[in-house]
Parts: sequence; C-alpha cells; structure tokens
Amino acid sequence: MRKLFAFAVATLLSVGAAQADRLDDIKKDGVLRVASFDSNPPFGSVDPATKQITGLDVDFAQAIADKIGVKLEVRPTNPANRIPLLTSGKVDLVLANFTITEERAKQLDFSIPYFASGQQFLAKKGTLSSPDQLNGLRIGADKGTTNEIVLRRDFPKAMVVAFDDTPFAFTALRNGNVQAITQDGPKLVGLLAKVPDRQNYEIPAFSISNDYIGVGIPKGETRLRDLVNETLRELEKSGKAATIYDRWFGPNTEQPLPRLFRIGEHD
Amino acid sequence: MNRAVITDNLGYLLVGAWPDGPVGGLALTLILSGLSGLASAALGLILGIGLAMSAGAARRALVLGLGFFRAIPIVMLIFWSYFLLPILFGVSVPEIGTVVTALALVGGAYLAYGVAAGIESIGRGQWEAGLALGFGRWQVLRTIVLPQALRAMAPSFVNQWTALIKDTSLAYVIGVPELSFVAAQVNNRAMVYPAEIFLFIGAVYGALCLTLDRLAAALAQGARRAPRLSRATPA
Repeated sequence: MRKLFAFAVATLLSVGAAQADRLDDIKKDGVLRVASFDSNPPFGSVDPATKQITGLDVDFAQAIADKIGVKLEVRPTNPANRIPLLTSGKVDLVLANFTITEERAKQLDFSIPYFASGQQFLAKKGTLSSPDQLNGLRIGADKGTTNEIVLRRDFPKAMVVAFDDTPFAFTALRNGNVQAITQDGPKLVGLLAKVPDRQNYEIPAFSISNDYIGVGIPKGETRLRDLVNETLRELEKSGKAATIYDRWFGPNTEQPLPRLFRIGEHD
Repeated sequence: MNRAVITDNLGYLLVGAWPDGPVGGLALTLILSGLSGLASAALGLILGIGLAMSAGAARRALVLGLGFFRAIPIVMLIFWSYFLLPILFGVSVPEIGTVVTALALVGGAYLAYGVAAGIESIGRGQWEAGLALGFGRWQVLRTIVLPQALRAMAPSFVNQWTALIKDTSLAYVIGVPELSFVAAQVNNRAMVYPAEIFLFIGAVYGALCLTLDRLAAALAQGARRAPRLSRATPA
C-alpha cells in the first residue's frame, strides 16, 4: 500500500515542478539532509555505542557533505519511504542502497553508481540451489524495492510476501513463514554475518539481476548532481572509495567481499 | 529468553539517541501522547460544545468535518500530511508536529461526540430551571450543565487517551523514533530476539495505559467526593 502512496505522491509532484537551486539552499542552511537505512548493516544501521546511524552509505554521504562544506544530517528511512522523502523535499539526497532503475529515474535523478550488486537469495541450507525452484516457493521481499518488482515480473508463480525491511523478512524465514528471502547479495551477506546461528543458512550461488546503486537526487537539480558525481569520482581517484569499502566489506570485517566494481566504470 | 538484549539496549529504548541526538524511545512516546492528549481534549471539548449548541447549516458543516476525521485512518492522515503538504502547498510540517496534529484531530473528533452526548444526557429540566432563573444559554451550559456532563464524559476521555497512547506507534510510518520505532531498530540489529523485544515493548505500552487508567480512576473518585460536600441542596 505504501508503494501506492509513493507512486501517487510522485505523480502529484511531476505536475508542479517549481525549482529553486537546492545546492544553494544546502549551503545557506549549512546542513545536508540525507536519508539512509537504519536497519541494514553494513549500508546503514544504528551503532549501539554511539546511537548514531553508520554504514557504507553514511560514509559516502559524509564525503559529499564535506565536499560541500556543510554538516551532515542523517534521517532514517525504510526502502518504501525513499522516494516520498526525496520528492517531498524532506531530504536532499538518498543514500540507501538505492538501485538505479528507469522507472525510478522518471521521478528523480541518480548519480553515477558507487556500488554494484546482484539480487540473491537467503534460505535454510538445502532448500534452494537454482532459479528454477523459485516459482514454487514462498519468498520474502522488501516492500518498494527492485527485488520485489524483479521477482514478481520474472517468477510469476513464486508466492511473494512483502515486508517492511529485510530483518523482518529474515524473521519470517526463521519462523518458517517463507522459504527464502531476496535482497542484494552484499546486503544478505551483511545480514547473515549478524545472525548467531548462521551455519543453518546459505546464500545460493546464483543471482537473478545485476544492480547498480546510486545516490538519489531531486529531479532537475543538475548542479547538485554534478557535485555528487564529481565527489564520487574524486573518492575513487584518491583511493578513499576503496577505504570506505574496506571499512565495511574488507578482509577484516564480518562480511568480507572482494571489491569488483570501481566508480566511473559504468556511467 | 535473552534478557541481555533488553538490558543492553534499555537506554536507547527509553530515550533514543538523547543526549547525543534527538530524544526518542519511551520519552518521545510520552511527549507525543501528552501533547496530543491535551490538544485532543481541548479540541473535543470545543467541538463537542459546538455540536451540542449549534443547529442548521453550522451543525451540518461540523458533522461533515468530524465525520471526515473519524473516517480517515490515522496512519493515512499522518502519511499524507507529511509527504503531501510540502508538495501541494510548499509547507513543510516537522515530523512530530505532523503526528501530534493528526492524533489530536482524530482524537478530538471522537471526543467531540462524547462531549456532545454528555451535554445531551443532562435533562431538559436543568436547562429550563437555569433559564427560568434568568441565566443565558451559555451561562447555563457553563455553570450547570457542563460540570455534571464532564463527570459523565470522563470514562470516554480516558478511553480516547488510552487509544492515543497506542496510536503514537503509527508515527513509525514517517520515521519518528518513538518507542515502537526504536524497538524495531533494535530488533533489526539483534536479528533473532523479536519475542523478547516486542513482549517487553508490549508490556511497556500495557503499563502506560494501566497507569493512565488508575490515575483517572483516582482523580474521578476524588472529584466525586469533593462536590458532594458542597452540594447541600440537590439541584
């Protein structure tokens, strides 16, 4: 239902697109307001010690705020609220594992991708080994994600159960309400790393789509978009992007993943 | 049962990120409940009196307005006013303001009918007696009818406030870090202890509502005792 709201909100917005320059407003206020996940480590979650939202997305957001020379303010969001938050002007940018799609690009602008992943699955060991099995299974997905859309489109016989956020979907998997859950591979790896009985679960070695993750930017804010793109390219060039990646997915983290994607190689 | 997941996160559940960030958790739930409880009582009283005292077109307009707020789900009212007002009118309402306003409007609309029913429950004889003594309609309402009617309305006020406390959890839809929202954050981080966390949260809401109920009962008892002393001659 919230996806419907989001759609309606976005439709209304496209009617009256009055534009001021957002970058000037950000500089004037001295604050960059960014929506990030609060429940999806390592992209964004509440640090138990500092009680602040931290993660890979937040580090990139901080780099953009530093580039503009303003303070960063992180607002928690779930997957479904990302577009409404941006289109209603409640935040300036969305950095929340936001997959770039043509459909979304009608309502907002994206930066160049700063992360890449594929849609994968998490299931109890031995239940799932190939995409052919998906059509017969009950599968948990997050509301308002591309994962949900792709699954419904490409596997029409799969029973899709939509949840507010990935940890809720995982609870359903744990309790046997669904037989698998779907999300971007790195997010599932990050989730599984936090689960005490992780030996009972597995992420089967196949993916059903390739996703590029970008920064969500209000439509038509070209100066802001150029600045975000420039920042991302600089981060890659200076090696800071790799440092940020290693902080969350490097060999010494709970969810080591090799860094295959470089910013700027897919524009 | 893992009690550590509660004790380790107790501070976050009680006050959120405060003092390093905005206040949240149980403290924010109390603030939201308190503000919207007071605002809904004031609104309910004014609109209820309006409903009981008005007639004709004014009354029909009031009934229509109240009907709207009684018919619309709170969660939708919160969602739409938060995301739609900035788009349609360029007004940006802060999260907490949105939630308090929505709860107060819906709570006030419900209470208005309770207030109107309370006023109507007072017999016509009381009105006629007051008017015969030379009081105006509003004077009769204020000095004779309302003091009696309010006592009859008290249970419906407590009912509505109890509902309000629980409805503050709907603030989650726009990311307000009240008790149930921070509980979801903690649950999402701990992953495997939803039973512990949400049983605890349920117990906290239960304790809040029970406290309000006891408090109201004690106050009502006090109020019942006090006027009886002064009412030497029954009206």
